[in-house]
Amino acid sequence: MSRLATLWVWLVFGFMYLPIAMILLFSLNASDVMAFPLRGFTTEWYGAILSDGRLGGGFLTTLSVAFPVAILVTVFGAIAALVLTLYPMRGRGLFVAILLMPFLVPRLILAVSQLILFKEVGIDRSLWTVIAGQSIIILPFSTLIIASVLIRIDRQLIDAAADLGASGWSSFRRVVLPLMSNGLLASWVIAFVLSSSEYVMTAFLSGREQPLSVLVASDFRFNLSPSLNALAVLIVLGNIALVVLAESIRRRSGRND
Amino acid sequence: MAVLPGRIGNWLSLPVVAALFALCVAPLLILFAYSFFQVDFVAISREPTFANYAKIAGSETYRNLIARAFGSAMLVVAITAIIGYPVAWFIAKRVTTAKSTLLTLLLVPLYSGDLVRVFAWRVLLGAEGAINRTLMWLGVTTEPLAGLLFSPLATHIALTYNYLPFMVIGLWLAFESLDDAWIEAAADLGAPAVDRFRRVTLPLTVPGLIAGGLMVFVMVAGDYLTPQLLGGASGVTIISAVNDLFGTAFDWPLGSAIAWTMLAILMFCFGAGALAIRRATLVSDGA
Repeated sequence: MSRLATLWVWLVFGFMYLPIAMILLFSLNASDVMAFPLRGFTTEWYGAILSDGRLGGGFLTTLSVAFPVAILVTVFGAIAALVLTLYPMRGRGLFVAILLMPFLVPRLILAVSQLILFKEVGIDRSLWTVIAGQSIIILPFSTLIIASVLIRIDRQLIDAAADLGASGWSSFRRVVLPLMSNGLLASWVIAFVLSSSEYVMTAFLSGREQPLSVLVASDFRFNLSPSLNALAVLIVLGNIALVVLAESIRRRSGRND
Repeated sequence: MAVLPGRIGNWLSLPVVAALFALCVAPLLILFAYSFFQVDFVAISREPTFANYAKIAGSETYRNLIARAFGSAMLVVAITAIIGYPVAWFIAKRVTTAKSTLLTLLLVPLYSGDLVRVFAWRVLLGAEGAINRTLMWLGVTTEPLAGLLFSPLATHIALTYNYLPFMVIGLWLAFESLDDAWIEAAADLGAPAVDRFRRVTLPLTVPGLIAGGLMVFVMVAGDYLTPQLLGGASGVTIISAVNDLFGTAFDWPLGSAIAWTMLAILMFCFGAGALAIRRATLVSDGA
């Protein structure tokens, strides 16, 4: 029974990593055709991607969206997480419902409704609208990450600070903030990853300046080439590295108590 | 145990509430208003009318697309539940030290982004793709299996792949809060394994099943990219119809009405699911 389950779990994890393994394999395969048998080893596809000026420009655009998104989302997520854990508010249930809405509403529907709103108030599509649209859908994730750190804070520390005469502000700044800093860092990294790989919001809300995901999507529709494998591998590896970093930061904060 | 006296939380929440209103609640309300407008040649007439909703109700195409979206969603919920149930059990009950590592490993592929994942499946399933070429190379088939890519099969494989982790997380939480004493008690009372599962474990994990199922359901019904890029002719979904109406077809009001029909159904499912979770939890508390 248990051995069967172990096998099953291995199979499922294999399934989860199969597509990633495949693109890694074919990104190093010396053939135009993405299929077995493999034809030998090459790094030509990586060279092609790294020297592509158009994609390079798209990457810079992606970064110029992801940085502000990660900062905005972390600040707002921190506020939301504080309200949900340490500083209670009235109407908490309603707050949670609205907070989860951007996660639950189909992205395309949220994107078109933001498009209408921006049009109604006369805002043209630009990187600013991309930043706004992405931030709102990533907010639930960052709130969750920061809240997961905050609920582990020992409240007696805060009470002790108050007993020792600390004001609300100084107990926040000198007790809560240092304890939540790992959560903030983890949230920043995860938000960065989610922003850079978001496609639907980005495609709908971007104007003339197109981030990498939009450029890749059009390549992907019209010319499937092994160099796209190389690009996908670079994106996946970059993202995985960042996510693992964020997880280790977030989990380290649990060891303090 | 409030940390700060009084209402600081209320003030603190204001900027977040304002952002959510401006970028989520308000847009959806405007979308709702648009669903009662109408396209008059190239302009949008703001005379309120139910014509768009009447059109959806009267159109077999739209009715079928909506039914298919929710049919697909139910199917993927069922598949992910069957695949994920043993995985969640295993992580919760059979693993001690590697628990969070396994959960992280499960979630990591999610962060590669929708586009990369769809791309990878396309490489795997295409007529010239890895699976077909390999089958031919091995001599299993002589012709590529045409049905692999650009088919409902491809779409559903990728949808299962995309949303399985959410189901596992929902179930895992339920298994974590499942007290083994119940199952031991049932065993002591002589219940065979099948009955222990059917009458103890399963009912106690139903809340997780519903919670995971709801997430998967909502996300599959709202997925745009996967059917679009892997489904071929079957890639026309109700969501892609909304996309077309806002793009080339330029009928924003009809698009808005379809979008709100979807939202209304999703909200109903969510309400029903939340109610079912509450009831299931009450039952298990009383058990």
